[in-house]
Formats: sequence, structure tokens, C-alpha cells
Amino acid sequence: MKVLILNGPGLDDLRRLDSSFDKDLTLDRIEEACGALCASYGIDMTFRQGDVVRELFDWVGRNASEFDALIINPIGYYSYEAYETFEKYRSAIKVLAHLKKPVVEVHISNIFRRGAHLIEPLREPDAQIGFICGLGLHSYLLAIESIAQKANLKGSTP
Amino acid sequence: MSQQKKVRVLNGPNLNLLGAREPEIYGSATLAQIAEGCIRLGAERGLDVEFLQSNHEGQLIDWIQGAIDHCDAIVINAAAFTHTSVAIHDALRAYKGYKIELHISNPHLREEFRHTSYVAPAVDAVVAGLGVGGYALVVGLLGEVL
Repeated sequence: MKVLILNGPGLDDLRRLDSSFDKDLTLDRIEEACGALCASYGIDMTFRQGDVVRELFDWVGRNASEFDALIINPIGYYSYEAYETFEKYRSAIKVLAHLKKPVVEVHISNIFRRGAHLIEPLREPDAQIGFICGLGLHSYLLAIESIAQKANLKGSTP
Repeated sequence: MSQQKKVRVLNGPNLNLLGAREPEIYGSATLAQIAEGCIRLGAERGLDVEFLQSNHEGQLIDWIQGAIDHCDAIVINAAAFTHTSVAIHDALRAYKGYKIELHISNPHLREEFRHTSYVAPAVDAVVAGLGVGGYALVVGLLGEVL
């Protein structure tokens, strides 16, 4: 099974993002922990971060069909570009949703505490999208566990 | 061995009908089956899981207040009260342990009246749309972090 973990603009620097479950999180630590968990399920993980929305989502659009599931952290900070970001995301997610592949949206912080008026959850009524926010590193790990659970994968570590 | 941690899992209105009500949205598992799974998994991870359901807002508030100083974490699927209850929001704010909002489906993909959650700003984290399996995932997570 191939899983894409995609991190949007601003997520190379996590110092402004907080969670009750994690302190001093870095993207490297997330990648390492996700890699270890995926390996324990025999999942082939691709982990990407990009700041240029257009490039990121053109890439997803072209490559989506190669993956069996997508975990997406859409954005780490808000900017005017975010409006464009979400339009691009929707189109990328539609591609996967129509292929009936699991999609889980994750955020490190509780976006409803930071202000839902700034970052809103993805809304695509025809899609099956899981949603996890506020668990820090565990937002990603729970998303992986959920995908493994649905695919009936057994972990190799206790 | 460390002292056993207490987790209170609260379920709101209509969740007693789980398995029978709109299984295409909520799945075919019953609430009793989910409760059994959570309690068993919790025991394996050193957690004392208390699994409760009520159709009454005041009962849910009493259970949240009762968790203050007695439970290490609350998991709450407030169901339809999520979108209406300022009183549940206030009760959750008074509770200082870990608190996680849980939904079987993802409310943001459904009707517009489900897009606002009074629970979300009062908790640490939100988990939604992972199906009934979300319960076990959250209990497993609490087994790790508590």
C-alpha cells in the first residue's frame, strides 16, 4: 500500500503551532515517526512539504492515482494565497475521492481554537474525508492507524 | 506500576440507535459493541474506560462536571448537541484534563447546520470521519499519552 503525506505552505516551521499533546515538534520528527509507523504496517510512505501551492497541487493532480491513500495537512499559516490554496486542494481531493481512496485531513493544532475564521476544514460533500486536529504528531499517526485499520493491515510491532 | 488512568467516553443523543439508524453514514456496529471494544482495549492499555450515553443535555453536563478531579481524560461525541449546546461548551471549559471531540462521520462534509461546533473550541483536539473505528483509535492514543 502506498500512502502520500502532504504538507502545505508554512509547515516547514512548526514553532507557531501548538498542541496539548506535543511540544517543540519539527517536521523532521513527524516524518521520522510517520515513516516508522508506516514501515510497521508495510506501508510505502511518500512525505512531502511545499510552500508553492500551485506546484504542490499540480504535482498531486498528476501523481494522485499512484497512491492508495492521502494524508493532507493543508496549511500551516494563513495568507491571501490560502484562498487559492483551498480551491486547489478541493480539486486535488476530488481526484482521490472519485477514485474511492481514503483521505484524512490533519492539523497539528486545534484549528477551532486558533480561529475557524482563518483556517476552515475541507468541505467536499461527495468525498469521504477523515478529519483530525489538535493531536500534534499524533494527528498524523492516528491518520495512518485509521488507514491501516480500514485496509485490515496488521502491525509488526506491539 | 503506575496508577490506572480514568477515561470517560460520553455519547450524546440518538447514539443509542447506532447500528439501526442510517447505517450508510454511521456503520452497522451497535453502541454496546463499541463500548465493549473501548473498555477491553482500555484495560489492555492500563486505562479504566467508562462508556456512557444519554439523550439528555443536562445528564451529559452532569457527567462532564463529575469528571472534574476524577477522570484523566474525556472523549465526547456530543452528536447533535455539538451544534447547539453552549452549556456543554461551558462545562467542558471547566474541565482541565485532556478532552477530545469525536464524531463517527465528518460533520464538515454534511449539512451546513452541522458545520459549527460549540464543542471544538472547548477541547484539545477533534477526531471525525474515521467511522466507528475512531473510538478505538482515540482510546489507544490516550493509552499512550496518559
